[in-house]
Amino acid sequence: MSMIEAIQLSRVYLRGDGTPVTALRDVSFVIGAGEFVVIRGTSGSGKSSLLNILGCLDTPTSGTYRLSGDVVGSLSDDERSHLRARRIGFVFQSFNLLPRATALENVELPALYSGAAPDRGRARELLGRVGLGERAAHYATELSGGEQQRVAIARSLMNDPPLLLADEPTGNLDSASGESVMQLLSSLHREGRTIVLVTHDEHIASFAGRELVIRDGVIASDTVRRAQVPA
Amino acid sequence: MNASRLLASAWRSLTRSKLRSFLMMLGVIVGIASLTALASVGEATRQETMRQFKRMLGTFDTLTIRPGAGSTRGMPSLGAVEPSLKFDDGPAIVAGVRGVKRVALVQQAFDLDVSYRDETAVPLVLGVSPNWADVRGEAVASGEHLSDDDDRTLARVAVIGSDVAQTLFHGEEPLGKVIRIADVPFQVKGVMAPRGAGPGGVSLDNMLVIPVSTSAKRLFNRDYLTTLVVQLEDANESDRVADDVRAVLRERHRIIPPAEDDFTVSSPRATLAQITSVGTMLSKVVTGVAVIATLIGGAVIMSLMLIGVSERRREIGLRRAIGATRRDVLRQFLVEAALIAVVGGAIGIVVGAGGATIGALLQKLPPAYEWQIIGAAFAISLAVGILFGLYPAWKAANVDPIEALRS
Repeated sequence: MSMIEAIQLSRVYLRGDGTPVTALRDVSFVIGAGEFVVIRGTSGSGKSSLLNILGCLDTPTSGTYRLSGDVVGSLSDDERSHLRARRIGFVFQSFNLLPRATALENVELPALYSGAAPDRGRARELLGRVGLGERAAHYATELSGGEQQRVAIARSLMNDPPLLLADEPTGNLDSASGESVMQLLSSLHREGRTIVLVTHDEHIASFAGRELVIRDGVIASDTVRRAQVPA
Repeated sequence: MNASRLLASAWRSLTRSKLRSFLMMLGVIVGIASLTALASVGEATRQETMRQFKRMLGTFDTLTIRPGAGSTRGMPSLGAVEPSLKFDDGPAIVAGVRGVKRVALVQQAFDLDVSYRDETAVPLVLGVSPNWADVRGEAVASGEHLSDDDDRTLARVAVIGSDVAQTLFHGEEPLGKVIRIADVPFQVKGVMAPRGAGPGGVSLDNMLVIPVSTSAKRLFNRDYLTTLVVQLEDANESDRVADDVRAVLRERHRIIPPAEDDFTVSSPRATLAQITSVGTMLSKVVTGVAVIATLIGGAVIMSLMLIGVSERRREIGLRRAIGATRRDVLRQFLVEAALIAVVGGAIGIVVGAGGATIGALLQKLPPAYEWQIIGAAFAISLAVGILFGLYPAWKAANVDPIEALRS
């Protein structure tokens, strides 16, 4: 079963003076459930535009995007919000933790929008899962970069989404912390989670089973490194 | 998102930047405190005015008839009024008007010397019909009230107020003693229970009563009255009874249209409502200032909220990414604004009630804490929070998550 189906996705922005800029041009690919895929490209390649569409934050100008079978382009803003809450976990380059909330409160946050009952136990469990069980009561600002990113990963798992979208998750980390974050993502992948990771870093691609290279708004290459076991 | 989680999260964000929250509340605190204090002091004053009038009149369920057209201000003295109200007008009203319980007859003067041995007082001297004490619900502290016999026999007896008792007798037993009212001897047969202060804080106990027939024939030598006090069966019928009384008196006084009444019927309840409804100029100005302070408080909330929204763009973007709808974000910021205003309002109510207590103590009045005032202050704060929170919350809801998350 496919998690993501991108069919001839295009995204055109209008500049301030009205001239159109094409960020994505007829991009098509399929990502199966349980895959770990890296989308690699330089800045301005269109990878951020693609990630926004895959994350249901944006809709394509033309083409069709299906997330586990649902056509996202025709959904309302509210419906896409609900989809994000239940099916997608986000991990950002700059972590985006709430600075005035504790690690535990940050992990719990997505439950606020999924319609689920508050579940402090699950939040604790997830913090333990990322190795920060002892840090639950610390404020985000008291944690190191690597710790913050691990809290963010625990947060992305709160609503148990089938798909994780990571945007340069190691971009703000030293290599040791980056390594441990990648190990964590790999182990989540082994547990059956579908992971799509956007990066400009070639080294990161080695963790994934498949690499899509995007250049000037089109897919330049699609390489399967090793066979992946679907969940 | 349920209400308690929404409130809890708003409370957290409020308590985590206490100084900013306090600054946001300040205007609302000042405004609501002044409004609460003003309303409470106003209410305390109104209630005290009511009590003073109640003490003066004994009861509000009456109509007062005075001689002459147009309402007379102050106390008419027998020597200065038109001789239009006659003794027979009283029984005629009882007989001719439905819903009248009693009519008391009064002749009054306040310029007569009253003396006992070397002591002299100048109290209000009232010649009253024996039912006067019943109309007013007046009690005697010692001795007895005037009786029907006293009135029929033109007895020279007096029931004196507690001030007069004090001035003339200095603690000596007044009962049975003979005092002289404008040199006419009267025997004291009773001392009235103290009534306290009337309107303007004037003592209501510097007075004495004698039978009205005695005052008419032995003291004033006048056959007309200064006042008729009509007691109603049902206070709600006041207007109808007043009309009927007017008709009876016009007929008895042979007044033919277009001639005007030679008497005035007034309802103490109506007069009082008029007195207590008119706020002073000062209180209107201060109320206006308090309203403006509250609105400024709202504007402060709005501007600091707007700053907060732009500072928290990343947070908004994140919340949107993890599934918050526009409405979730709108609600979050609206609840924060409302909570700030309501907490500010609550502090304002406490401060205002404290101010009102001090104000009341300075005026030597019992403070009035009305639930309506507190409820209204609370509602105003909530309304201010929602009103001025709406625009920032709308701005927050429309933050583009893609823009906001771009590092």
